Amino acid sequence: MLKHIEAQIKALGCGVWELREESTRAWEFYFIRHALDQNRVSELNTIFVTLYRPLEDGMLGSASGEIFPTASEAEIQKALSDIYFQASLVKNPSYRLNDKPLVSPALQEVDSAAIAKDFISTMSQLRETETEDVNSYEIFIREITRHYRNSNGVDYTVRYPSSMIEVVVNARKGEHEIELYRNFQSGTCDGEKLRRDIEKALQYGKDRLVTEPTPMLNQFDVLFSTGDARSIYRYFAAKTMVDLIFQKVSDWTPGKPVAESVQGDRITLQAVSTLKNSSASYPFDEEGAVIRDRTLIRDGVVEALWGHRRFSQYLGLEDCSMVKNFVVKGGAHSEAELRQGDYLEVVEFSDFQVDPISGDIAGEIRLGYLHQNGQVRVVSSGSVSGQMAAAIPTMEFSSETEQYDTAVIPRVTKLKNLNVTGQE
Amino acid sequence: MKAPFSQYLEGIVPKLRKLVDILSQSFDYVSILSTDSVGFQIHISQRSKSVSGTNMTTERGSVVRVCRGGQYSEYAFSLLPDSMEEFAGQIQHQLEAQFAILKLTGTRAYDTPVLPDEPLELFVEKETGRLPEQEDMKALVERFLKLSQRGVSIVPRALDCLVNASSTHISKLFLTKNRFLRQSYVYTEGACAAFGPNDAGEIKFANEGISGCGGPELLEGLNAALEKLPKRMEEMLSAEKIVPGEYEIITDPGISGLIAHEAFGHGVEMDMFVKKRALGADYIGKRVGSELCTMHEGALCANSVTAYAFDDEGTLAGDVTEIDHGILKTGICDALAALRLGIAPTGNGKRQNFAHKVYTRMTNTVFDSGSSTLEEMIASVKHGYLLSGTQSGMEDPKHWGIQCIISRGYEIKDGALTGKVVSPVIMTGYVPDLLGGICMASTDREVHGNGACGKGYKEFVKVADGGPYLKTKARLG
Repeated sequence: MLKHIEAQIKALGCGVWELREESTRAWEFYFIRHALDQNRVSELNTIFVTLYRPLEDGMLGSASGEIFPTASEAEIQKALSDIYFQASLVKNPSYRLNDKPLVSPALQEVDSAAIAKDFISTMSQLRETETEDVNSYEIFIREITRHYRNSNGVDYTVRYPSSMIEVVVNARKGEHEIELYRNFQSGTCDGEKLRRDIEKALQYGKDRLVTEPTPMLNQFDVLFSTGDARSIYRYFAAKTMVDLIFQKVSDWTPGKPVAESVQGDRITLQAVSTLKNSSASYPFDEEGAVIRDRTLIRDGVVEALWGHRRFSQYLGLEDCSMVKNFVVKGGAHSEAELRQGDYLEVVEFSDFQVDPISGDIAGEIRLGYLHQNGQVRVVSSGSVSGQMAAAIPTMEFSSETEQYDTAVIPRVTKLKNLNVTGQE
Repeated sequence: MKAPFSQYLEGIVPKLRKLVDILSQSFDYVSILSTDSVGFQIHISQRSKSVSGTNMTTERGSVVRVCRGGQYSEYAFSLLPDSMEEFAGQIQHQLEAQFAILKLTGTRAYDTPVLPDEPLELFVEKETGRLPEQEDMKALVERFLKLSQRGVSIVPRALDCLVNASSTHISKLFLTKNRFLRQSYVYTEGACAAFGPNDAGEIKFANEGISGCGGPELLEGLNAALEKLPKRMEEMLSAEKIVPGEYEIITDPGISGLIAHEAFGHGVEMDMFVKKRALGADYIGKRVGSELCTMHEGALCANSVTAYAFDDEGTLAGDVTEIDHGILKTGICDALAALRLGIAPTGNGKRQNFAHKVYTRMTNTVFDSGSSTLEEMIASVKHGYLLSGTQSGMEDPKHWGIQCIISRGYEIKDGALTGKVVSPVIMTGYVPDLLGGICMASTDREVHGNGACGKGYKEFVKVADGGPYLKTKARLG
């Protein structure tokens, strides 16, 4: 179908184009407790088209759309004709598509049945008790094949597995029952890690039953020791993205420190093409660029940028790409050292957020451990808020690291003097 | 004009009927949902422009639902082969491969009765001013460029002004042996957003949106939306941090809607009752709010972005009174969850798209109006905030905890706005306390449908919510 669409594009007189065909074979299983609610299969095919046309004054027009695989010949022609016309309306500064030839890797075999068996077996063998157990879970296994072609002759195909399991666990004490929600993404099923993470959640559930209200702590150090900390590091990644820099949403540039007068750990952030069992491990991005491993921030100073081809070219950068996987280097102190003194460790938020643009930090506390004056109290309610620009100079993170799907980050991260509201 | 039903879907009806007939020989229940939705998406700012024929609700494909021996399975597909006999075999083969894994792992099924299949035929083409696929995109892009330029010129400190819009002409077909439902409608949404640095160099945003059931003609509303941005930005630039504590609050219709959505929207999605994940199941018939608290949910409640005629399981749209003068009456329910609970479905079975599973999802979730004026409400506040500008929300159906992140709080002291603005505001609390504290509600009411709602952190669908201004108490931080 791609070659047919390519011929139609050429017939329109369009000389600059990109085509991306994604075929997804998905297996899904939904459970209530350990009984199967539903099983699902999806076999999907989508074709995305972007057409470009040179305009006056060195501008470049572009527009995109999807060609449905069931489209008739007339529908294909109309869709392409509409996209080509719309390309004349959208005037952006000119840029060039990727043109370096790529060699497709051998297509990876994805055994959905084996992955499904691993997930289901792992879940059925969890150590549950009468008071801590699994409420429900949903398993998603995807085999994704992406075929990319552009008018510069770049042509590649990659195939990769992308899995996800959403788990809800319960803990109860008498009539009082609580739940915790987890969403784990990965390439295939890492049964051992999944079992460890869910059993940890079951323990958190047990603790959630015996919480007291979070006291009003005002300015307090907060320790992040779960996947929520990814939001903190996504802020750094977003700030080094060419898209945001060109649009003036970020003012970070190579050679500039991410903060002045840093007294804590200086962050080193790397972009990498592949990570073991990441749900997005592949060598080329969706615009036909090689994803190269590179250090974006070294010891607290911006070193390189990443992002879409168009914006990288506007900034005079040739060697950028989109990136899915990131690695943060560990800090100067061990986890044990960072756990000294008074701090609030929040392991469950309603929804922890770090706004990648404003840097605002916000989250309601569902479960925390308040370490204060040599004692530990299990707390819930209240909220944590702050601002990344203010937090970076004193931020500390552990030398030990942990992988959460597409991100390797320090096992614990401490943000000092955040606002912690609670019961007065 | 009527939004015409998809010719493509009309054309594949004979094939789909044949597929239902063939699969019905092997299964106790067979249904097919087919979709064909076209539209556009535009983003225009001074530094970046894009136009696409794809947005979050454009799609074409089908999903077959089958049941055998109390076990429900689905097969979603985007290609439709010529031979339905072979295709039916392929579907069964794929599902059998899954059944083999389930057998190997000793998995038992959640036994569910067979869905009823009472005869029904429906054909609905809703009114729209224009169609997205026929929109004059040249005129629209030029208008958005001018709006963006004006935004930069009138909004203080603006580095850029983004004008975006999307519009989708939705066609859906639902087919079983006895049901033949077809609907088409158009929804449109748009927003203007400007951003710029405050004195500390922090980037601040000001945005205003419009949405509704209708075509791109609704985007005329962006002109008025843009004119509100300068004041919004001034407020954001001068905003201070709030002193954390419990305050009297007045929520504007947008924040009232956010509370409705998070509090007793997600909280009474009855697929959660089946899993025993919602505290609401134990509170039917009990007080959860004040006398002034009445809340409706349903696609028929408002002519919004989610005002469909039937849901993705072929259940007709409804209007459910969830809370009546503070008493929790019922929740909302998809068809399978309804079967498991022994109740009637409410027309709230929705999919992110044809390839996704059905869940119980919200449509329009709306508080009823009251009898006060906004002026009376402000005058009654000793010390508190008028809250406005939705950023995000999160619910906890098991504990009725609620978190709302809100753009702005306008300080009220001794019955008058002081002019001081705080930002951002994190509102947290216990839902019955929040709703139980509602002591005034305004006479007017608005429903907003910008953005999307997820179930957990996935399955994003269009929803709308709203209500009047409400006065209550909450913890702000």
